[in-house]
Amino acid sequence: MSDFFSLFFHSFIAVILLSIAVATIGSIMLLNRYSYTAASIAHGSYGGIGLALYFGVPMLLGTTLFALALALVLAAITYGNKERNDLLIGLIWAVGMSVGIIAVDASGGYGSDLMSFLFGDILMVPKSDLVYMALVDLLLIGFVALFYNHLLAIAYEEDFAKLRGINVKALHYATLLLIALTVVMSIRSVGLILVIALFSIPPFIAERFTHSLKAMIPLSGVLSFIFSLAGLLISYSFDISATASIILVSAAAFLISMIRKRE
Amino acid sequence: MKTAVKCDNLYFRYHKEYILENITLKIEDGEYIAIIGPNGGGKSTLLRLIMGLLKPTKGSIAIYGQSPQRAKRVIGYLPQKINFGLDMPITAFEAVLQGRLSGSKLFYDEEDKKTALRIMENLGVANYKDSKISELSGGERQKILLARALACDPKILILDEPTASVDIEGQKQIYEILKNLNMTKIVVSHDIKILFEGVDRVAYINRRLYMHDSPDLNIEHSEGHFCEMELFEYLKKGCDV
Repeated sequence: MSDFFSLFFHSFIAVILLSIAVATIGSIMLLNRYSYTAASIAHGSYGGIGLALYFGVPMLLGTTLFALALALVLAAITYGNKERNDLLIGLIWAVGMSVGIIAVDASGGYGSDLMSFLFGDILMVPKSDLVYMALVDLLLIGFVALFYNHLLAIAYEEDFAKLRGINVKALHYATLLLIALTVVMSIRSVGLILVIALFSIPPFIAERFTHSLKAMIPLSGVLSFIFSLAGLLISYSFDISATASIILVSAAAFLISMIRKRE
Repeated sequence: MKTAVKCDNLYFRYHKEYILENITLKIEDGEYIAIIGPNGGGKSTLLRLIMGLLKPTKGSIAIYGQSPQRAKRVIGYLPQKINFGLDMPITAFEAVLQGRLSGSKLFYDEEDKKTALRIMENLGVANYKDSKISELSGGERQKILLARALACDPKILILDEPTASVDIEGQKQIYEILKNLNMTKIVVSHDIKILFEGVDRVAYINRRLYMHDSPDLNIEHSEGHFCEMELFEYLKKGCDV
Protein backbone atom coordinates (compact mmCIF):
# COMPACT_ATOMS: atom_id res chain seq x y z
CA MET A 1 0.00 0.00 0.00
CA SER A 2 2.88 2.39 0.73
CA ASP A 3 4.11 1.70 -2.83
CA PHE A 4 0.70 2.70 -4.04
CA PHE A 5 0.83 6.05 -2.25
CA SER A 6 4.41 6.88 -3.25
CA LEU A 7 3.63 6.01 -6.87
CA PHE A 8 0.38 7.91 -6.87
CA PHE A 9 1.39 10.86 -4.66
CA HIS A 10 0.77 13.52 -7.32
CA SER A 11 -2.37 11.73 -8.44
CA PHE A 12 -3.56 11.61 -4.84
CA ILE A 13 -3.12 15.38 -4.50
CA ALA A 14 -4.85 15.85 -7.87
CA VAL A 15 -7.76 13.71 -6.66
CA ILE A 16 -8.17 15.87 -3.55
CA LEU A 17 -8.05 19.08 -5.60
CA LEU A 18 -10.48 17.68 -8.19
CA SER A 19 -12.86 16.59 -5.43
CA ILE A 20 -12.95 20.13 -4.03
CA ALA A 21 -13.87 21.41 -7.49
CA VAL A 22 -16.50 18.70 -7.96
CA ALA A 23 -18.04 19.57 -4.59
CA THR A 24 -18.24 23.32 -5.21
CA ILE A 25 -18.72 24.16 -8.88
CA GLY A 26 -19.99 20.65 -9.74
CA SER A 27 -22.92 21.08 -7.33
CA ILE A 28 -23.75 24.57 -8.63
CA MET A 29 -23.43 23.31 -12.21
CA LEU A 30 -25.89 20.48 -11.57
CA LEU A 31 -28.47 22.59 -9.71
CA ASN A 32 -28.47 25.23 -12.43
CA ARG A 33 -28.65 22.61 -15.20
CA TYR A 34 -25.38 23.82 -16.72
CA SER A 35 -24.07 20.34 -17.55
CA TYR A 36 -24.66 20.60 -21.30
CA THR A 37 -23.17 24.11 -21.41
CA ALA A 38 -20.18 22.88 -19.39
CA ALA A 39 -19.75 19.95 -21.79
CA SER A 40 -19.72 22.44 -24.67
CA ILE A 41 -16.98 24.47 -22.94
CA ALA A 42 -15.00 21.29 -22.23
CA HIS A 43 -15.14 19.92 -25.77
CA GLY A 44 -14.81 23.33 -27.39
CA SER A 45 -11.64 23.92 -25.37
CA TYR A 46 -9.88 21.52 -27.70
CA GLY A 47 -9.70 24.58 -29.97
CA GLY A 48 -7.53 26.25 -27.31
CA ILE A 49 -5.18 23.28 -27.21
CA GLY A 50 -4.84 23.33 -31.00
CA LEU A 51 -4.30 27.08 -31.21
CA ALA A 52 -1.77 27.03 -28.35
CA LEU A 53 0.13 24.35 -30.24
CA TYR A 54 -0.07 26.22 -33.54
CA PHE A 55 1.09 29.57 -32.12
CA GLY A 56 3.61 28.06 -29.71
CA VAL A 57 1.87 29.50 -26.66
CA PRO A 58 2.07 27.57 -23.34
CA MET A 59 -0.72 25.00 -23.42
CA LEU A 60 -2.25 25.96 -20.08
CA LEU A 61 -2.33 29.66 -20.94
CA GLY A 62 -3.71 29.17 -24.45
CA THR A 63 -6.40 26.74 -23.32
CA THR A 64 -7.38 28.93 -20.38
CA LEU A 65 -7.87 31.99 -22.60
CA PHE A 66 -9.80 30.03 -25.21
CA ALA A 67 -12.03 28.33 -22.61
CA LEU A 68 -12.78 31.69 -20.95
CA ALA A 69 -13.71 33.17 -24.34
CA LEU A 70 -16.02 30.21 -25.02
CA ALA A 71 -17.60 30.62 -21.59
CA LEU A 72 -18.29 34.31 -22.28
CA VAL A 73 -19.93 33.50 -25.63
CA LEU A 74 -22.00 30.72 -24.06
CA ALA A 75 -22.99 32.94 -21.13
CA ALA A 76 -24.22 35.60 -23.57
CA ILE A 77 -26.13 33.02 -25.63
CA THR A 78 -27.76 31.22 -22.73
CA TYR A 79 -28.67 34.11 -20.42
CA GLY A 80 -32.41 34.76 -20.63
CA ASN A 81 -32.68 32.86 -23.88
CA LYS A 82 -34.31 29.47 -23.55
CA GLU A 83 -35.17 29.10 -27.23
CA ARG A 84 -32.93 26.95 -29.41
CA ASN A 85 -30.21 27.06 -26.77
CA ASP A 86 -29.32 23.43 -27.36
CA LEU A 87 -28.57 24.08 -31.02
CA LEU A 88 -26.25 27.03 -30.30
CA ILE A 89 -24.51 25.24 -27.42
CA GLY A 90 -23.95 22.22 -29.68
CA LEU A 91 -22.64 24.48 -32.44
CA ILE A 92 -20.02 26.03 -30.15
CA TRP A 93 -19.05 22.55 -29.01
CA ALA A 94 -18.47 21.42 -32.62
CA VAL A 95 -16.80 24.64 -33.81
CA GLY A 96 -14.33 24.61 -30.90
CA MET A 97 -13.34 21.01 -31.61
CA SER A 98 -13.05 21.69 -35.34
CA VAL A 99 -10.77 24.68 -34.73
CA GLY A 100 -8.63 22.42 -32.55
CA ILE A 101 -8.42 19.64 -35.13
CA ILE A 102 -7.46 22.03 -37.96
CA ALA A 103 -4.92 23.91 -35.79
CA VAL A 104 -3.30 20.62 -34.74
CA ASP A 105 -3.15 19.46 -38.39
CA ALA A 106 -1.69 22.82 -39.47
CA SER A 107 1.01 22.59 -36.84
CA GLY A 108 2.18 19.27 -38.22
CA GLY A 109 0.30 17.07 -35.76
CA TYR A 110 1.10 16.29 -32.21
CA GLY A 111 0.64 12.55 -32.19
CA SER A 112 -0.58 10.49 -29.33
CA ASP A 113 0.11 13.12 -26.64
CA LEU A 114 -3.06 14.88 -27.69
CA MET A 115 -4.99 11.84 -26.54
CA SER A 116 -3.99 12.70 -22.99
CA PHE A 117 -5.85 16.01 -23.34
CA LEU A 118 -8.96 14.26 -24.58
CA PHE A 119 -9.00 11.42 -22.06
CA GLY A 120 -6.57 12.66 -19.43
CA ASP A 121 -4.06 10.74 -17.38
CA ILE A 122 -4.29 11.30 -13.68
CA LEU A 123 -1.00 9.43 -13.19
CA MET A 124 0.90 12.04 -15.22
CA VAL A 125 -0.32 15.32 -13.72
CA PRO A 126 2.68 17.70 -13.56
CA LYS A 127 3.44 19.75 -10.44
CA SER A 128 2.66 23.01 -12.26
CA ASP A 129 -0.86 21.76 -12.93
CA LEU A 130 -1.31 20.99 -9.23
CA VAL A 131 -0.52 24.62 -8.42
CA TYR A 132 -3.02 25.78 -11.07
CA MET A 133 -5.64 23.39 -9.66
CA ALA A 134 -5.06 24.65 -6.11
CA LEU A 135 -5.48 28.27 -7.24
CA VAL A 136 -8.70 27.48 -9.11
CA ASP A 137 -9.98 25.60 -6.05
CA LEU A 138 -9.35 28.66 -3.88
CA LEU A 139 -11.37 30.75 -6.34
CA LEU A 140 -14.19 28.20 -6.36
CA ILE A 141 -14.34 27.95 -2.56
CA GLY A 142 -14.34 31.74 -2.21
CA PHE A 143 -17.04 32.16 -4.87
CA VAL A 144 -19.40 29.53 -3.46
CA ALA A 145 -18.84 30.58 0.17
CA LEU A 146 -19.49 34.25 -0.62
CA PHE A 147 -22.46 33.82 -2.94
CA TYR A 148 -23.90 30.62 -1.47
CA ASN A 149 -27.32 32.13 -0.64
CA HIS A 150 -27.58 33.98 -3.94
CA LEU A 151 -26.58 30.90 -5.96
CA LEU A 152 -29.13 28.75 -4.12
CA ALA A 153 -31.85 31.37 -4.68
CA ILE A 154 -31.09 31.47 -8.42
CA ALA A 155 -31.03 27.69 -8.69
CA TYR A 156 -34.36 27.47 -6.88
CA GLU A 157 -36.21 30.23 -8.73
CA GLU A 158 -34.54 32.73 -10.99
CA ASP A 159 -37.48 35.17 -11.14
CA PHE A 160 -37.67 35.43 -7.36
CA ALA A 161 -33.92 35.99 -7.17
CA LYS A 162 -34.23 38.84 -9.70
CA LEU A 163 -37.10 40.33 -7.72
CA ARG A 164 -34.93 40.33 -4.60
CA GLY A 165 -32.37 42.39 -6.50
CA ILE A 166 -29.79 39.61 -6.92
CA ASN A 167 -27.54 40.18 -9.93
CA VAL A 168 -28.51 36.97 -11.69
CA LYS A 169 -26.74 37.93 -14.92
CA ALA A 170 -23.38 38.62 -13.26
CA LEU A 171 -23.54 35.34 -11.32
CA HIS A 172 -24.50 33.45 -14.51
CA TYR A 173 -21.39 34.81 -16.26
CA ALA A 174 -19.18 34.23 -13.22
CA THR A 175 -20.36 30.62 -12.86
CA LEU A 176 -19.66 29.80 -16.50
CA LEU A 177 -16.21 31.44 -16.34
CA LEU A 178 -15.38 29.36 -13.27
CA ILE A 179 -16.64 26.23 -15.03
CA ALA A 180 -14.21 27.09 -17.87
CA LEU A 181 -11.30 27.36 -15.41
CA THR A 182 -12.36 24.09 -13.80
CA VAL A 183 -12.44 22.37 -17.17
CA VAL A 184 -8.91 23.58 -17.96
CA MET A 185 -7.61 22.54 -14.55
CA SER A 186 -9.00 19.04 -15.15
CA ILE A 187 -7.70 18.54 -18.69
CA ARG A 188 -4.51 16.70 -17.81
CA SER A 189 -6.05 14.59 -15.07
CA VAL A 190 -9.39 13.52 -16.57
CA GLY A 191 -9.41 14.99 -20.08
CA LEU A 192 -11.94 17.03 -22.02
CA ILE A 193 -14.19 14.09 -22.86
CA LEU A 194 -14.52 12.63 -19.36
CA VAL A 195 -14.54 15.79 -17.26
CA ILE A 196 -18.32 16.28 -17.34
CA ALA A 197 -19.02 12.76 -16.07
CA LEU A 198 -16.65 13.32 -13.14
CA PHE A 199 -18.26 16.67 -12.35
CA SER A 200 -21.87 15.51 -12.69
CA ILE A 201 -22.10 12.08 -11.09
CA PRO A 202 -21.03 12.77 -7.46
CA PRO A 203 -23.26 15.89 -7.11
CA PHE A 204 -26.14 14.01 -8.76
CA ILE A 205 -25.91 11.17 -6.22
CA ALA A 206 -25.40 13.61 -3.31
CA GLU A 207 -28.44 15.67 -4.37
CA ARG A 208 -30.68 12.63 -4.09
CA PHE A 209 -29.67 11.87 -0.52
CA THR A 210 -29.43 15.33 1.08
CA HIS A 211 -31.97 17.91 2.21
CA SER A 212 -29.85 20.97 1.70
CA LEU A 213 -27.08 22.30 -0.51
CA LYS A 214 -24.97 22.69 2.65
CA ALA A 215 -24.99 18.91 2.98
CA MET A 216 -24.83 18.22 -0.77
CA ILE A 217 -21.54 20.09 -1.31
CA PRO A 218 -19.39 18.12 1.19
CA LEU A 219 -21.06 14.82 0.28
CA SER A 220 -20.28 15.44 -3.42
CA GLY A 221 -16.64 16.03 -2.49
CA VAL A 222 -16.41 12.90 -0.36
CA LEU A 223 -18.07 10.77 -3.06
CA SER A 224 -15.75 12.16 -5.73
CA PHE A 225 -12.75 11.40 -3.51
CA ILE A 226 -13.93 7.83 -2.82
CA PHE A 227 -14.72 7.11 -6.51
CA SER A 228 -11.36 8.52 -7.60
CA LEU A 229 -9.42 6.58 -4.99
CA ALA A 230 -11.28 3.38 -5.86
CA GLY A 231 -10.58 4.03 -9.55
CA LEU A 232 -6.88 4.51 -8.84
CA LEU A 233 -6.74 1.28 -6.84
CA ILE A 234 -8.49 -0.65 -9.62
CA SER A 235 -6.16 0.90 -12.18
CA TYR A 236 -3.11 -0.08 -10.06
CA SER A 237 -4.39 -3.62 -9.51
CA PHE A 238 -5.37 -4.40 -13.10
CA ASP A 239 -2.95 -2.11 -14.94
CA ILE A 240 -5.71 -0.26 -16.78
CA SER A 241 -6.38 3.43 -17.45
CA ALA A 242 -6.83 5.31 -14.16
CA THR A 243 -9.19 8.00 -15.48
CA ALA A 244 -11.44 5.52 -17.25
CA SER A 245 -11.51 3.40 -14.06
CA ILE A 246 -12.59 6.43 -12.02
CA ILE A 247 -15.41 7.23 -14.45
CA LEU A 248 -16.60 3.60 -14.47
CA VAL A 249 -16.57 3.43 -10.67
CA SER A 250 -18.59 6.68 -10.60
CA ALA A 251 -21.04 5.32 -13.18
CA ALA A 252 -21.47 2.09 -11.16
CA ALA A 253 -22.17 4.14 -8.01
CA PHE A 254 -24.67 6.21 -10.00
CA LEU A 255 -26.58 3.06 -11.03
CA ILE A 256 -26.54 1.69 -7.46
CA SER A 257 -27.85 5.03 -6.13
CA MET A 258 -30.73 4.94 -8.63
CA ILE A 259 -31.71 1.47 -7.46
CA ARG A 260 -31.32 2.32 -3.75
CA LYS A 261 -33.41 5.47 -4.07
CA ARG A 262 -36.19 3.62 -5.89
CA GLU A 263 -36.33 1.08 -3.04
CA MET B 1 -55.25 57.09 -0.58
CA LYS B 2 -51.92 56.26 -2.19
CA THR B 3 -51.80 54.49 -5.53
CA ALA B 4 -49.95 51.19 -5.29
CA VAL B 5 -49.84 50.27 -8.99
CA LYS B 6 -50.46 52.52 -11.98
CA CYS B 7 -50.29 51.19 -15.52
CA ASP B 8 -50.77 53.72 -18.31
CA ASN B 9 -51.54 52.70 -21.87
CA LEU B 10 -49.39 49.60 -21.53
CA TYR B 11 -48.44 47.42 -24.48
CA PHE B 12 -46.28 44.32 -24.51
CA ARG B 13 -45.20 42.58 -27.69
CA TYR B 14 -43.45 39.22 -27.92
CA HIS B 15 -41.87 38.64 -31.33
CA LYS B 16 -44.49 40.20 -33.64
CA GLU B 17 -47.55 39.47 -31.53
CA TYR B 18 -49.08 41.77 -28.96
CA ILE B 19 -49.69 39.90 -25.68
CA LEU B 20 -51.10 43.00 -23.96
CA GLU B 21 -52.68 46.06 -25.55
CA ASN B 22 -53.69 49.38 -24.11
CA ILE B 23 -53.74 48.31 -20.46
CA THR B 24 -54.67 51.12 -18.13
CA LEU B 25 -55.00 50.09 -14.52
CA LYS B 26 -54.90 51.79 -11.15
CA ILE B 27 -54.70 49.78 -7.93
CA GLU B 28 -55.02 51.66 -4.68
CA ASP B 29 -52.99 50.90 -1.56
CA GLY B 30 -54.56 48.03 0.38
CA GLU B 31 -56.84 46.84 -2.44
CA TYR B 32 -57.41 43.15 -3.13
CA ILE B 33 -57.59 42.58 -6.90
CA ALA B 34 -58.31 39.34 -8.72
CA ILE B 35 -57.14 38.95 -12.30
CA ILE B 36 -58.84 36.26 -14.32
CA GLY B 37 -58.88 35.32 -17.98
CA PRO B 38 -58.11 32.53 -20.42
CA ASN B 39 -54.76 30.83 -20.89
CA GLY B 40 -52.39 32.96 -22.94
CA GLY B 41 -54.49 36.05 -22.26
CA GLY B 42 -51.59 37.93 -20.70
CA LYS B 43 -52.29 37.57 -16.96
CA SER B 44 -48.84 36.36 -15.97
CA THR B 45 -47.21 38.79 -18.42
CA LEU B 46 -48.94 41.70 -16.67
CA LEU B 47 -47.63 40.44 -13.31
CA ARG B 48 -44.09 40.18 -14.70
CA LEU B 49 -44.33 43.72 -16.05
CA ILE B 50 -45.51 45.01 -12.66
CA MET B 51 -42.61 43.19 -10.97
CA GLY B 52 -40.10 44.69 -13.42
CA LEU B 53 -39.11 41.27 -14.79
CA LEU B 54 -40.22 42.40 -18.27
CA LYS B 55 -40.11 45.83 -19.87
CA PRO B 56 -43.21 47.17 -21.63
CA THR B 57 -43.08 47.71 -25.38
CA LYS B 58 -45.00 50.95 -24.85
CA GLY B 59 -46.59 52.75 -21.91
CA SER B 60 -45.54 53.13 -18.30
CA ILE B 61 -45.85 51.42 -14.93
CA ALA B 62 -45.38 53.01 -11.53
CA ILE B 63 -45.23 51.20 -8.19
CA TYR B 64 -45.88 53.70 -5.40
CA GLY B 65 -44.66 56.36 -7.85
CA GLN B 66 -41.42 54.52 -8.68
CA SER B 67 -40.35 52.44 -11.65
CA PRO B 68 -40.85 48.67 -11.13
CA GLN B 69 -37.04 48.17 -11.22
CA ARG B 70 -36.61 50.53 -8.26
CA ALA B 71 -39.64 49.22 -6.38
CA LYS B 72 -38.81 45.50 -6.42
CA ARG B 73 -38.08 45.44 -2.70
CA VAL B 74 -41.71 46.31 -1.81
CA ILE B 75 -43.10 43.35 -3.75
CA GLY B 76 -43.63 39.85 -2.40
CA TYR B 77 -44.23 37.19 -5.05
CA LEU B 78 -45.68 33.72 -5.05
CA PRO B 79 -45.09 31.96 -8.40
CA GLN B 80 -47.45 29.61 -10.18
CA LYS B 81 -44.99 26.75 -9.93
CA ILE B 82 -41.29 26.27 -9.62
CA ASN B 83 -39.60 24.05 -12.16
CA PHE B 84 -36.96 22.67 -9.86
CA GLY B 85 -35.86 19.06 -10.02
CA LEU B 86 -37.57 16.61 -7.70
CA ASP B 87 -34.44 16.30 -5.60
CA MET B 88 -33.62 20.01 -5.29
CA PRO B 89 -31.71 20.16 -1.99
CA ILE B 90 -33.41 23.02 -0.17
CA THR B 91 -35.26 22.96 3.14
CA ALA B 92 -38.51 24.83 3.74
CA PHE B 93 -36.70 27.21 6.12
CA GLU B 94 -34.00 27.97 3.55
CA ALA B 95 -36.71 28.74 0.97
CA VAL B 96 -38.49 31.15 3.33
CA LEU B 97 -35.22 32.83 4.28
CA GLN B 98 -34.69 33.70 0.60
CA GLY B 99 -37.40 36.31 1.04
CA ARG B 100 -34.92 38.23 3.21
CA LEU B 101 -32.20 38.35 0.55
CA SER B 102 -31.27 41.43 -1.43
CA GLY B 103 -28.60 42.32 -3.96
CA SER B 104 -26.25 43.54 -1.26
CA LYS B 105 -27.24 41.03 1.42
CA LEU B 106 -25.16 37.90 1.09
CA PHE B 107 -25.68 36.34 4.51
CA TYR B 108 -28.64 36.00 6.87
CA ASP B 109 -28.52 37.47 10.36
CA GLU B 110 -30.43 36.43 13.49
CA GLU B 111 -33.20 38.93 12.72
CA ASP B 112 -33.78 37.29 9.32
CA LYS B 113 -34.01 33.85 10.92
CA LYS B 114 -36.43 35.05 13.60
CA THR B 115 -38.63 36.77 11.00
CA ALA B 116 -38.70 33.72 8.73
CA LEU B 117 -39.59 31.42 11.62
CA ARG B 118 -42.31 33.78 12.93
CA ILE B 119 -43.99 33.90 9.51
CA MET B 120 -43.80 30.11 9.21
CA GLU B 121 -45.43 29.83 12.63
CA ASN B 122 -48.17 32.28 11.62
CA LEU B 123 -48.95 30.24 8.53
CA GLY B 124 -48.83 26.97 10.46
CA VAL B 125 -45.87 25.48 8.62
CA ALA B 126 -43.09 25.86 11.20
CA ASN B 127 -43.07 22.10 11.79
CA TYR B 128 -41.85 21.61 8.19
CA LYS B 129 -38.85 23.86 8.84
CA ASP B 130 -36.20 21.21 8.19
CA SER B 131 -38.11 19.23 5.57
CA LYS B 132 -36.87 19.06 2.01
CA ILE B 133 -39.34 21.30 0.19
CA SER B 134 -39.81 18.91 -2.71
CA GLU B 135 -41.14 16.30 -0.27
CA LEU B 136 -44.02 18.50 0.92
CA SER B 137 -47.57 18.36 -0.46
CA GLY B 138 -48.78 20.98 -2.95
CA GLY B 139 -50.66 22.93 -0.26
CA GLU B 140 -47.79 22.87 2.22
CA ARG B 141 -45.36 23.97 -0.48
CA GLN B 142 -47.58 26.89 -1.50
CA LYS B 143 -47.75 28.02 2.14
CA ILE B 144 -43.96 27.87 2.33
CA LEU B 145 -43.72 29.97 -0.83
CA LEU B 146 -46.33 32.37 0.59
CA ALA B 147 -44.17 32.65 3.72
CA ARG B 148 -41.18 33.40 1.47
CA ALA B 149 -43.19 36.12 -0.30
CA LEU B 150 -44.14 37.65 3.06
CA ALA B 151 -40.64 37.44 4.53
CA CYS B 152 -39.53 40.68 2.87
CA ASP B 153 -42.38 42.56 4.61
CA PRO B 154 -43.90 43.59 1.27
CA LYS B 155 -46.36 46.39 0.57
CA ILE B 156 -47.70 44.52 -2.46
CA LEU B 157 -48.28 40.79 -2.59
CA ILE B 158 -48.44 39.28 -6.08
CA LEU B 159 -49.72 35.74 -6.41
CA ASP B 160 -49.76 33.79 -9.66
CA GLU B 161 -52.23 30.91 -9.41
CA PRO B 162 -51.68 30.39 -5.67
CA THR B 163 -54.06 27.45 -5.47
CA ALA B 164 -52.93 25.53 -8.56
CA SER B 165 -52.15 21.91 -7.62
CA VAL B 166 -53.55 22.44 -4.12
CA ASP B 167 -56.39 20.29 -2.73
CA ILE B 168 -59.78 21.83 -1.74
CA GLU B 169 -58.90 22.10 1.95
CA GLY B 170 -55.54 23.70 1.12
CA GLN B 171 -57.27 26.17 -1.22
CA LYS B 172 -59.67 27.24 1.53
CA GLN B 173 -56.77 27.74 3.94
CA ILE B 174 -54.79 29.82 1.44
CA TYR B 175 -57.81 32.03 0.59
CA GLU B 176 -58.46 32.51 4.32
CA ILE B 177 -54.85 33.55 4.93
CA LEU B 178 -55.00 35.99 1.99
CA LYS B 179 -58.22 37.60 3.29
CA ASN B 180 -56.51 38.38 6.57
CA LEU B 181 -53.35 39.90 5.13
CA ASN B 182 -53.40 43.67 5.38
CA MET B 183 -51.60 44.84 2.23
CA THR B 184 -52.21 45.38 -1.48
CA LYS B 185 -52.89 42.00 -3.06
CA ILE B 186 -52.99 41.05 -6.73
CA VAL B 187 -54.03 37.49 -7.43
CA VAL B 188 -54.04 35.84 -10.83
CA SER B 189 -56.20 32.78 -10.86
CA HIS B 190 -57.77 30.26 -13.17
CA ASP B 191 -59.95 29.31 -10.25
CA ILE B 192 -62.92 31.68 -10.40
CA LYS B 193 -63.84 30.77 -6.83
CA ILE B 194 -61.35 33.56 -6.05
CA LEU B 195 -64.15 35.99 -6.99
CA PHE B 196 -66.06 34.92 -3.93
CA GLU B 197 -63.16 35.20 -1.51
CA GLY B 198 -63.44 38.85 -0.51
CA VAL B 199 -61.72 40.54 -3.45
CA ASP B 200 -62.43 44.26 -3.94
CA ARG B 201 -62.31 44.30 -7.74
CA VAL B 202 -61.99 41.88 -10.61
CA ALA B 203 -59.97 42.38 -13.77
CA TYR B 204 -60.54 40.20 -16.79
CA ILE B 205 -57.60 40.06 -19.19
CA ASN B 206 -57.52 38.66 -22.66
CA ARG B 207 -54.91 40.86 -24.33
CA ARG B 208 -57.06 43.83 -23.26
CA LEU B 209 -58.23 44.53 -19.75
CA TYR B 210 -61.78 44.78 -18.49
CA MET B 211 -62.16 45.92 -14.89
CA HIS B 212 -65.21 45.22 -12.76
CA ASP B 213 -65.53 47.64 -9.89
CA SER B 214 -67.58 45.54 -7.57
CA PRO B 215 -66.99 42.08 -6.23
CA ASP B 216 -70.77 41.63 -6.05
CA LEU B 217 -71.10 39.97 -9.42
CA ASN B 218 -74.71 39.04 -8.87
CA ILE B 219 -74.17 35.62 -10.35
CA GLU B 220 -75.97 32.59 -9.10
CA HIS B 221 -73.18 30.41 -7.99
CA SER B 222 -73.09 26.93 -6.67
CA GLU B 223 -69.52 26.25 -5.69
CA GLY B 224 -67.65 24.50 -8.43
CA HIS B 225 -70.47 24.73 -10.95
CA PHE B 226 -70.50 27.74 -13.16
CA CYS B 227 -69.62 28.37 -16.73
CA GLU B 228 -66.31 30.13 -17.00
CA MET B 229 -67.00 31.51 -20.46
CA GLU B 230 -70.37 32.93 -19.41
CA LEU B 231 -68.69 34.62 -16.49
CA PHE B 232 -66.02 36.10 -18.73
CA GLU B 233 -68.68 37.40 -21.14
CA TYR B 234 -70.61 38.86 -18.22
CA LEU B 235 -67.50 40.63 -16.96
CA LYS B 236 -66.65 41.98 -20.40
CA LYS B 237 -70.17 43.34 -20.94
CA GLY B 238 -70.59 44.72 -17.45
CA CYS B 239 -67.22 46.41 -17.20
CA ASP B 240 -65.84 49.71 -18.30
CA VAL B 241 -63.39 49.12 -21.11
